[in-house]
Amino acid sequence: MPPGALSRERDVREAYAAHSGELYGFAVRSLGDSGLAEEAVQETFVRAWRAGDRFDPQIGSLRTWLFAILRNVVIDLGRARAARPSVADGGVEPSVEPLEQALLSWQVEEAMRRIGEDHRHVLVETHFQGRPYAEVAAELGVPEGTVKSRVYYGLRALRVVLEEMGYEG
Amino acid sequence: MKAEQPDSCREWRQLLGAYALGDLAAEEQAGLEAHLDGCPECRAEAESLESVARLLPLADPDRFSRPAPQPPAELGDRIAATISGERQVVRRRQRWRFGLALSGAAAAAAAVLAIAILPGSEDSGNPEQHVEFSSLPAGMKIDATLEPHAYGTEIRVYVKGVRSGTLCQVYLRGPHGERVSAGTFRYRWGDDSTAVLSSALDLSRTRAIGVRAGNRTFVAPVEVTRATADDNSNQEDAT
Repeated sequence: MPPGALSRERDVREAYAAHSGELYGFAVRSLGDSGLAEEAVQETFVRAWRAGDRFDPQIGSLRTWLFAILRNVVIDLGRARAARPSVADGGVEPSVEPLEQALLSWQVEEAMRRIGEDHRHVLVETHFQGRPYAEVAAELGVPEGTVKSRVYYGLRALRVVLEEMGYEG
Repeated sequence: MKAEQPDSCREWRQLLGAYALGDLAAEEQAGLEAHLDGCPECRAEAESLESVARLLPLADPDRFSRPAPQPPAELGDRIAATISGERQVVRRRQRWRFGLALSGAAAAAAAVLAIAILPGSEDSGNPEQHVEFSSLPAGMKIDATLEPHAYGTEIRVYVKGVRSGTLCQVYLRGPHGERVSAGTFRYRWGDDSTAVLSSALDLSRTRAIGVRAGNRTFVAPVEVTRATADDNSNQEDAT
Protein backbone atom coordinates (compact mmCIF):
# COMPACT_ATOMS: atom_id res chain seq x y z
CA MET A 1 0.00 0.00 0.00
CA PRO A 2 1.57 3.30 -1.05
CA PRO A 3 2.11 6.00 1.56
CA GLY A 4 -0.78 8.43 1.62
CA ALA A 5 -3.29 5.79 0.59
CA LEU A 6 -6.75 6.61 1.78
CA SER A 7 -7.52 3.19 3.06
CA ARG A 8 -7.92 3.53 6.81
CA GLU A 9 -11.03 4.99 8.35
CA ARG A 10 -8.83 7.51 10.13
CA ASP A 11 -7.44 8.74 6.81
CA VAL A 12 -10.97 9.34 5.60
CA ARG A 13 -11.85 11.26 8.76
CA GLU A 14 -8.81 13.47 8.29
CA ALA A 15 -9.59 14.00 4.63
CA TYR A 16 -13.15 14.85 5.56
CA ALA A 17 -12.04 17.37 8.16
CA ALA A 18 -9.72 19.04 5.67
CA HIS A 19 -11.84 19.10 2.52
CA SER A 20 -15.52 18.48 3.19
CA GLY A 21 -16.37 22.19 3.43
CA GLU A 22 -15.02 22.97 -0.02
CA LEU A 23 -16.43 19.82 -1.57
CA TYR A 24 -19.82 20.55 -0.09
CA GLY A 25 -19.65 24.18 -1.23
CA PHE A 26 -19.00 23.16 -4.80
CA ALA A 27 -21.64 20.41 -4.65
CA VAL A 28 -24.27 22.92 -3.49
CA ARG A 29 -23.15 25.38 -6.16
CA SER A 30 -23.36 22.87 -8.99
CA LEU A 31 -26.36 20.84 -7.87
CA GLY A 32 -28.32 23.72 -6.37
CA ASP A 33 -29.71 21.49 -3.65
CA SER A 34 -28.31 20.90 -0.18
CA GLY A 35 -29.77 17.39 0.12
CA LEU A 36 -28.26 16.28 -3.18
CA ALA A 37 -25.02 17.99 -2.20
CA GLU A 38 -24.83 15.95 1.00
CA GLU A 39 -25.43 12.81 -1.00
CA ALA A 40 -22.70 13.82 -3.43
CA VAL A 41 -20.15 14.49 -0.68
CA GLN A 42 -20.96 11.23 1.04
CA GLU A 43 -20.65 9.33 -2.22
CA THR A 44 -17.35 11.08 -2.91
CA PHE A 45 -15.77 9.97 0.37
CA VAL A 46 -17.15 6.45 0.11
CA ARG A 47 -15.77 6.13 -3.43
CA ALA A 48 -12.47 7.63 -2.31
CA TRP A 49 -12.26 5.14 0.51
CA ARG A 50 -13.00 2.21 -1.75
CA ALA A 51 -10.40 3.33 -4.25
CA GLY A 52 -8.04 4.53 -1.52
CA ASP A 53 -5.15 2.38 -2.63
CA ARG A 54 -5.28 4.03 -6.02
CA PHE A 55 -4.61 7.47 -4.61
CA ASP A 56 -1.05 8.46 -5.37
CA PRO A 57 0.17 11.70 -3.77
CA GLN A 58 3.00 11.72 -6.33
CA ILE A 59 0.47 12.44 -9.05
CA GLY A 60 -1.67 15.05 -7.39
CA SER A 61 -2.95 16.36 -4.11
CA LEU A 62 -5.66 14.64 -2.12
CA ARG A 63 -7.81 17.71 -2.65
CA THR A 64 -7.47 17.46 -6.43
CA TRP A 65 -8.26 13.76 -6.33
CA LEU A 66 -11.36 14.28 -4.19
CA PHE A 67 -12.56 17.05 -6.49
CA ALA A 68 -12.10 14.76 -9.49
CA ILE A 69 -14.24 12.13 -7.78
CA LEU A 70 -16.85 14.71 -6.78
CA ARG A 71 -16.96 15.97 -10.33
CA ASN A 72 -17.87 12.48 -11.54
CA VAL A 73 -20.43 12.07 -8.78
CA VAL A 74 -22.03 15.40 -9.70
CA ILE A 75 -22.18 14.38 -13.36
CA ASP A 76 -23.78 11.07 -12.36
CA LEU A 77 -26.27 12.76 -10.07
CA GLY A 78 -27.06 15.34 -12.72
CA ARG A 79 -27.75 12.59 -15.22
CA ALA A 80 -29.90 10.67 -12.77
CA ARG A 81 -31.85 13.84 -12.07
CA ALA A 82 -32.21 14.67 -15.75
CA ALA A 83 -33.58 11.19 -16.35
CA ARG A 84 -36.56 12.07 -14.18
CA PRO A 85 -39.30 13.63 -16.31
CA SER A 86 -40.00 16.47 -13.89
CA VAL A 87 -36.53 17.89 -14.25
CA ALA A 88 -35.90 16.90 -17.85
CA ASP A 89 -38.33 19.50 -19.17
CA GLY A 90 -35.58 21.36 -20.95
CA GLY A 91 -34.74 18.16 -22.76
CA VAL A 92 -31.06 19.06 -22.71
CA GLU A 93 -28.57 16.45 -21.68
CA PRO A 94 -26.34 18.01 -19.03
CA SER A 95 -22.93 18.39 -20.61
CA VAL A 96 -19.49 18.81 -19.15
CA GLU A 97 -19.24 22.46 -20.13
CA PRO A 98 -21.66 23.96 -17.57
CA LEU A 99 -20.02 21.89 -14.85
CA GLU A 100 -16.56 23.25 -15.67
CA GLN A 101 -18.11 26.70 -15.68
CA ALA A 102 -19.76 26.01 -12.32
CA LEU A 103 -16.45 24.85 -10.89
CA LEU A 104 -14.69 27.98 -12.07
CA SER A 105 -17.47 30.25 -10.80
CA TRP A 106 -17.41 28.50 -7.47
CA GLN A 107 -13.62 28.86 -7.28
CA VAL A 108 -13.78 32.59 -7.96
CA GLU A 109 -16.57 33.09 -5.43
CA GLU A 110 -14.73 31.02 -2.85
CA ALA A 111 -11.55 32.99 -3.54
CA MET A 112 -13.47 36.25 -3.09
CA ARG A 113 -14.61 34.99 0.31
CA ARG A 114 -11.06 34.21 1.35
CA ILE A 115 -9.29 37.45 0.53
CA GLY A 116 -9.13 40.18 3.16
CA GLU A 117 -12.22 42.23 3.91
CA ASP A 118 -10.58 45.51 2.80
CA HIS A 119 -9.65 44.04 -0.55
CA ARG A 120 -13.00 42.41 -1.09
CA HIS A 121 -14.80 45.61 -0.21
CA VAL A 122 -13.05 47.78 -2.81
CA LEU A 123 -13.44 45.10 -5.49
CA VAL A 124 -17.16 44.81 -4.77
CA GLU A 125 -17.73 48.55 -4.72
CA THR A 126 -15.64 49.46 -7.77
CA HIS A 127 -15.94 46.43 -9.98
CA PHE A 128 -19.21 44.73 -9.06
CA GLN A 129 -21.16 47.87 -8.14
CA GLY A 130 -19.39 49.96 -10.76
CA ARG A 131 -18.90 52.95 -8.43
CA PRO A 132 -16.23 55.59 -9.16
CA TYR A 133 -12.97 55.12 -7.24
CA ALA A 134 -13.17 58.68 -5.90
CA GLU A 135 -16.59 58.04 -4.40
CA VAL A 136 -15.47 54.81 -2.73
CA ALA A 137 -12.35 56.59 -1.47
CA ALA A 138 -14.39 59.44 0.03
CA GLU A 139 -16.71 56.98 1.72
CA LEU A 140 -13.79 55.14 3.24
CA GLY A 141 -11.97 58.39 4.11
CA VAL A 142 -8.81 57.36 2.23
CA PRO A 143 -7.04 58.82 -0.81
CA GLU A 144 -8.13 57.52 -4.21
CA GLY A 145 -4.63 56.08 -4.68
CA THR A 146 -5.26 53.85 -1.67
CA VAL A 147 -8.39 52.42 -3.29
CA LYS A 148 -6.36 51.73 -6.43
CA SER A 149 -3.62 50.00 -4.51
CA ARG A 150 -6.22 47.93 -2.60
CA VAL A 151 -7.69 46.87 -5.93
CA TYR A 152 -4.18 45.89 -7.01
CA TYR A 153 -3.43 43.91 -3.85
CA GLY A 154 -6.95 42.47 -3.93
CA LEU A 155 -6.40 41.02 -7.41
CA ARG A 156 -3.01 39.70 -6.32
CA ALA A 157 -4.56 38.04 -3.28
CA LEU A 158 -7.25 36.56 -5.49
CA ARG A 159 -4.58 35.16 -7.77
CA VAL A 160 -2.78 33.51 -4.85
CA VAL A 161 -5.98 31.92 -3.53
CA LEU A 162 -6.99 30.70 -6.98
CA GLU A 163 -3.56 29.16 -7.47
CA GLU A 164 -3.88 27.41 -4.13
CA MET A 165 -7.19 26.05 -5.33
CA GLY A 166 -5.53 24.61 -8.40
CA TYR A 167 -6.43 27.26 -10.94
CA GLU A 168 -3.74 27.41 -13.57
CA GLY A 169 -4.46 30.67 -15.37
CA MET B 1 14.49 40.39 -8.99
CA LYS B 2 11.38 41.66 -7.29
CA ALA B 3 13.40 42.80 -4.31
CA GLU B 4 15.39 45.07 -6.60
CA GLN B 5 12.28 46.50 -8.13
CA PRO B 6 12.88 50.21 -8.86
CA ASP B 7 10.75 52.75 -7.03
CA SER B 8 9.22 53.88 -10.29
CA CYS B 9 7.92 50.36 -10.87
CA ARG B 10 6.42 50.30 -7.42
CA GLU B 11 4.31 53.32 -8.14
CA TRP B 12 3.16 52.03 -11.50
CA ARG B 13 2.31 48.68 -10.01
CA GLN B 14 -0.20 50.19 -7.65
CA LEU B 15 -2.20 51.06 -10.77
CA LEU B 16 -2.10 47.62 -12.33
CA GLY B 17 -5.27 46.42 -10.58
CA ALA B 18 -7.39 49.27 -11.86
CA TYR B 19 -5.66 48.90 -15.24
CA ALA B 20 -6.49 45.18 -15.42
CA LEU B 21 -10.12 46.01 -14.68
CA GLY B 22 -10.13 48.77 -17.29
CA ASP B 23 -10.83 51.46 -14.72
CA LEU B 24 -7.98 53.92 -15.33
CA ALA B 25 -8.56 57.37 -16.76
CA ALA B 26 -7.19 57.78 -20.30
CA GLU B 27 -4.23 59.91 -19.26
CA GLU B 28 -3.19 57.62 -16.42
CA GLN B 29 -3.57 54.62 -18.68
CA ALA B 30 -1.40 56.14 -21.39
CA GLY B 31 1.34 56.88 -18.86
CA LEU B 32 1.21 53.36 -17.47
CA GLU B 33 1.26 51.78 -20.92
CA ALA B 34 4.34 53.79 -21.78
CA HIS B 35 6.01 52.30 -18.72
CA LEU B 36 4.80 48.79 -19.57
CA ASP B 37 6.31 49.08 -23.04
CA GLY B 38 9.74 49.37 -21.50
CA CYS B 39 9.30 47.10 -18.46
CA PRO B 40 8.78 43.39 -19.16
CA GLU B 41 8.32 42.58 -15.48
CA CYS B 42 5.49 45.02 -14.96
CA ARG B 43 4.02 43.85 -18.26
CA ALA B 44 4.05 40.26 -17.08
CA GLU B 45 2.38 41.29 -13.83
CA ALA B 46 -0.26 43.25 -15.76
CA GLU B 47 -1.03 40.25 -17.97
CA SER B 48 -1.27 37.95 -14.99
CA LEU B 49 -3.69 40.28 -13.21
CA GLU B 50 -5.72 40.69 -16.37
CA SER B 51 -6.27 36.94 -16.46
CA VAL B 52 -7.55 37.11 -12.86
CA ALA B 53 -9.72 40.14 -13.68
CA ARG B 54 -11.31 38.24 -16.56
CA LEU B 55 -12.60 35.67 -14.05
CA LEU B 56 -14.43 38.20 -11.90
CA PRO B 57 -17.61 38.29 -14.01
CA LEU B 58 -18.04 34.59 -13.20
CA ALA B 59 -18.54 35.42 -9.54
CA ASP B 60 -21.89 36.45 -8.18
CA PRO B 61 -21.51 38.98 -5.33
CA ASP B 62 -24.79 37.80 -3.80
CA ARG B 63 -23.21 34.40 -3.42
CA PHE B 64 -19.78 35.29 -2.07
CA SER B 65 -21.20 37.94 0.27
CA ARG B 66 -22.90 35.15 2.16
CA PRO B 67 -20.80 32.74 4.18
CA ALA B 68 -19.95 29.52 2.39
CA PRO B 69 -22.56 26.81 2.98
CA GLN B 70 -21.36 24.28 5.52
CA PRO B 71 -22.20 20.60 5.48
CA PRO B 72 -24.42 19.51 8.36
CA ALA B 73 -22.44 18.42 11.39
CA GLU B 74 -23.69 14.86 11.23
CA LEU B 75 -22.55 14.28 7.64
CA GLY B 76 -19.05 13.34 8.77
CA ASP B 77 -20.41 10.82 11.25
CA ARG B 78 -22.74 9.44 8.64
CA ILE B 79 -19.86 8.90 6.22
CA ALA B 80 -17.74 7.32 8.95
CA ALA B 81 -20.62 5.00 9.84
CA THR B 82 -21.15 4.04 6.21
CA ILE B 83 -17.49 3.30 5.78
CA SER B 84 -17.10 1.26 8.92
CA GLY B 85 -20.33 -0.57 8.06
CA GLU B 86 -18.88 -1.30 4.68
CA ARG B 87 -15.53 -2.31 6.02
CA GLN B 88 -16.37 -5.82 5.04
CA VAL B 89 -17.68 -4.79 1.69
CA VAL B 90 -15.01 -5.84 -0.66
CA ARG B 91 -14.84 -5.59 -4.35
CA ARG B 92 -15.27 -9.16 -5.26
CA ARG B 93 -17.53 -8.55 -8.20
CA GLN B 94 -15.20 -10.28 -10.53
CA ARG B 95 -15.13 -13.43 -8.54
CA TRP B 96 -18.83 -13.21 -7.93
CA ARG B 97 -19.66 -12.73 -11.58
CA PHE B 98 -17.58 -15.73 -12.35
CA GLY B 99 -19.68 -17.75 -9.97
CA LEU B 100 -22.85 -16.36 -11.47
CA ALA B 101 -21.89 -17.43 -14.96
CA LEU B 102 -22.03 -21.03 -13.86
CA SER B 103 -25.48 -22.09 -12.82
CA GLY B 104 -26.98 -24.69 -10.47
CA ALA B 105 -25.85 -28.01 -11.83
CA ALA B 106 -22.29 -26.84 -12.27
CA ALA B 107 -22.10 -25.24 -8.85
CA ALA B 108 -19.87 -27.84 -7.27
CA ALA B 109 -17.51 -27.86 -10.21
CA ALA B 110 -17.62 -24.07 -10.21
CA ALA B 111 -16.49 -23.90 -6.63
CA VAL B 112 -13.54 -26.12 -7.36
CA LEU B 113 -12.70 -24.13 -10.45
CA ALA B 114 -13.03 -20.82 -8.63
CA ILE B 115 -10.63 -22.06 -6.00
CA ALA B 116 -8.18 -23.14 -8.63
CA ILE B 117 -8.27 -19.66 -10.13
CA LEU B 118 -8.48 -17.72 -6.90
CA PRO B 119 -6.17 -19.28 -4.39
CA GLY B 120 -7.15 -16.61 -1.88
CA SER B 121 -10.50 -18.22 -1.28
CA GLU B 122 -10.77 -20.07 1.98
CA ASP B 123 -12.44 -23.34 2.98
CA SER B 124 -11.59 -25.01 -0.26
CA GLY B 125 -13.96 -27.69 -1.37
CA ASN B 126 -17.07 -26.16 0.17
CA PRO B 127 -19.64 -25.39 -2.46
CA GLU B 128 -21.09 -21.94 -2.64
CA GLN B 129 -24.79 -21.55 -2.96
CA HIS B 130 -26.05 -18.95 -5.34
CA VAL B 131 -29.51 -17.55 -4.70
CA GLU B 132 -31.37 -15.43 -7.21
CA PHE B 133 -34.33 -13.55 -5.82
CA SER B 134 -37.36 -13.82 -8.09
CA SER B 135 -40.65 -11.87 -8.13
CA LEU B 136 -39.03 -8.56 -7.38
CA PRO B 137 -40.48 -5.21 -8.44
CA ALA B 138 -39.44 -4.07 -11.90
CA GLY B 139 -35.93 -2.69 -12.01
CA MET B 140 -34.92 -4.30 -8.78
CA LYS B 141 -32.36 -7.04 -8.43
CA ILE B 142 -31.10 -9.04 -5.48
CA ASP B 143 -28.60 -11.85 -5.61
CA ALA B 144 -26.85 -13.65 -2.86
CA THR B 145 -24.04 -16.12 -2.66
CA LEU B 146 -23.80 -18.23 0.47
CA GLU B 147 -20.63 -19.96 1.47
CA PRO B 148 -20.29 -22.37 4.40
CA HIS B 149 -17.65 -21.76 7.03
CA ALA B 150 -16.84 -23.21 10.43
CA TYR B 151 -18.31 -20.09 12.05
CA GLY B 152 -21.55 -20.24 10.07
CA THR B 153 -22.31 -18.83 6.66
CA GLU B 154 -20.69 -16.08 4.67
CA ILE B 155 -23.26 -14.18 2.64
CA ARG B 156 -22.41 -11.91 -0.23
CA VAL B 157 -25.38 -9.81 -1.20
CA TYR B 158 -25.80 -7.69 -4.27
CA VAL B 159 -28.71 -5.27 -4.41
CA LYS B 160 -29.69 -2.91 -7.21
CA GLY B 161 -32.70 -0.74 -7.90
CA VAL B 162 -33.61 0.64 -4.51
CA ARG B 163 -33.16 4.21 -3.33
CA SER B 164 -29.62 5.24 -2.55
CA GLY B 165 -29.08 5.09 1.17
CA THR B 166 -31.65 2.35 1.74
CA LEU B 167 -30.85 0.27 4.77
CA CYS B 168 -30.80 -3.44 3.96
CA GLN B 169 -31.11 -6.02 6.73
CA VAL B 170 -30.21 -9.56 5.91
CA TYR B 171 -31.11 -12.71 7.79
CA LEU B 172 -31.08 -16.43 7.27
CA ARG B 173 -33.99 -18.66 8.19
CA GLY B 174 -33.36 -22.00 9.84
CA PRO B 175 -35.27 -25.31 9.59
CA HIS B 176 -37.76 -24.27 12.27
CA GLY B 177 -38.42 -20.89 10.76
CA GLU B 178 -36.08 -19.14 13.15
CA ARG B 179 -34.31 -16.04 11.92
CA VAL B 180 -30.61 -15.55 12.43
CA SER B 181 -29.36 -12.10 11.58
CA ALA B 182 -26.59 -11.63 9.05
CA GLY B 183 -26.22 -7.91 9.63
CA THR B 184 -26.98 -4.81 7.68
CA PHE B 185 -25.60 -2.72 4.89
CA ARG B 186 -26.64 0.33 2.99
CA TYR B 187 -27.28 0.35 -0.71
CA ARG B 188 -25.46 3.22 -2.33
CA TRP B 189 -26.33 4.50 -5.69
CA GLY B 190 -23.56 3.82 -8.18
CA ASP B 191 -22.09 1.17 -5.95
CA ASP B 192 -21.21 -1.95 -7.83
CA SER B 193 -19.83 -3.89 -4.93
CA THR B 194 -21.14 -6.79 -2.97
CA ALA B 195 -21.83 -6.56 0.73
CA VAL B 196 -20.06 -9.31 2.60
CA LEU B 197 -21.96 -10.39 5.68
CA SER B 198 -21.98 -13.37 7.95
CA SER B 199 -24.47 -15.28 9.99
CA ALA B 200 -23.93 -17.86 12.71
CA LEU B 201 -26.43 -20.19 11.09
CA ASP B 202 -24.77 -23.04 9.21
CA LEU B 203 -25.51 -23.17 5.53
CA SER B 204 -26.64 -26.79 5.89
CA ARG B 205 -29.42 -25.61 8.18
CA THR B 206 -30.36 -22.58 6.13
CA ARG B 207 -33.71 -22.84 4.41
CA ALA B 208 -34.20 -19.29 3.22
CA ILE B 209 -32.54 -15.92 3.03
CA GLY B 210 -34.40 -12.70 3.67
CA VAL B 211 -33.44 -9.19 2.68
CA ARG B 212 -35.37 -6.33 4.17
CA ALA B 213 -34.72 -3.27 1.99
CA GLY B 214 -36.31 -0.19 3.48
CA ASN B 215 -39.78 -1.35 4.51
CA ARG B 216 -40.08 -4.26 2.09
CA THR B 217 -38.88 -7.77 2.75
CA PHE B 218 -37.85 -10.22 0.06
CA VAL B 219 -37.27 -13.88 0.77
CA ALA B 220 -35.70 -16.54 -1.41
CA PRO B 221 -35.47 -20.26 -0.63
CA VAL B 222 -32.05 -21.80 -0.16
CA GLU B 223 -31.63 -25.31 -1.42
CA VAL B 224 -29.09 -27.14 0.62
CA THR B 225 -26.65 -29.07 -1.49
CA ARG B 226 -26.05 -32.67 -0.60
CA ALA B 227 -22.35 -32.15 -0.03
CA THR B 228 -22.87 -29.26 2.34
CA ALA B 229 -25.56 -31.07 4.27
CA ASP B 230 -23.39 -34.15 4.66
CA ASP B 231 -20.36 -32.18 5.70
CA ASN B 232 -22.24 -30.52 8.46
CA SER B 233 -24.78 -33.17 9.39
CA ASN B 234 -23.06 -34.01 12.65
CA GLN B 235 -22.80 -30.42 13.78
CA GLU B 236 -25.46 -29.04 16.01
CA ASP B 237 -26.37 -25.49 15.46
CA ALA B 238 -25.99 -23.66 18.73
CA THR B 239 -28.15 -20.78 17.67
